[in-house]
Amino acid sequence: MIEEIEKYNPREEGSTIWINIPSNKLHEILKKLKEIGFEHLSMINITDWIDKDVFEIGYFLWSSKYKKNIVVKTEIDRENAKIKTSSDIWNESAAIHERELHELFGVEFEKNNDLAPLFLEDWKEKPPFRKDFDWHEYVRKNYYDNNNEREKAYFDKNVTKN
Amino acid sequence: MESIQEKEKHVKAMERLVRAIWVFNWFNSCGCTELLPVISSRFDMERFGLIPVGTPRHADCLIITGYQTKKSIKRAVKIYEQMPEPKAVMALGSCTMTGGMYWDSYNTIKRLSDYMPVTIYVPGCPPRPEAIFHAVGMIFEHVKKAREEIERAKRRK
Repeated sequence: MIEEIEKYNPREEGSTIWINIPSNKLHEILKKLKEIGFEHLSMINITDWIDKDVFEIGYFLWSSKYKKNIVVKTEIDRENAKIKTSSDIWNESAAIHERELHELFGVEFEKNNDLAPLFLEDWKEKPPFRKDFDWHEYVRKNYYDNNNEREKAYFDKNVTKN
Repeated sequence: MESIQEKEKHVKAMERLVRAIWVFNWFNSCGCTELLPVISSRFDMERFGLIPVGTPRHADCLIITGYQTKKSIKRAVKIYEQMPEPKAVMALGSCTMTGGMYWDSYNTIKRLSDYMPVTIYVPGCPPRPEAIFHAVGMIFEHVKKAREEIERAKRRK
């Protein structure tokens, strides 16, 4: 069906096809997939693999022509997290996902010119969905008082362990 | 100390609440799920004079349901400031008291009373309609007691 993705060993499970591709080929392949009929972008997701030091980005596409899902996955460096935007392919529906992911993971989507904060106002810490952001510590520091009798329990590490 | 006249003026204003509490709803989380039956015909809040209004400038009571994020609390405070005196704030759900199930979230506030004066907290997750009517009854009771106190003070003079 699709010659372009054949060489990346697609795995097929039910109506879903999964492929892993290098990040420099991503934009080109997404564009090709849209041309052949995968015209609907359901979502973009990011997984933070802190042990491997990578972000895994997944693009979930749907084709009403083939009645198939395709999940295009790629890995990018965690420290210098940059990837070319897909908002020139899917316009607003990709742009809003990218804006959210930029806010929550700090991934830079190059050439997407609206990456303003979506939910977090006045946020000065590192992006909260990164695995190395310690939200317990942040909450203790910003919301609770160790000297308050009612709030002492929040400083007990057994109560707030991961 | 306030004089009796001043107190009476305040109680008179509060007595407006007994006739009809006009409610502005600030529903942006799940604490409002049990408020929908309160509004609709089974529990029918209009028989107690509770009417939802479209703008905070007409409202006597602000109902805040559930957790507020750091972003939405700014808007909630703005809404509170627009309401005319006398005003009451009814905070629904355990989230408004302690953060509830969001007690260790980085983005929700933990106590509503840090941001605005809360008149009455209604516990529950979410509170049942009966609890809301009980809270309204307590507001009525409070106004009644304040009036009785004024009358007693007048007689003593």
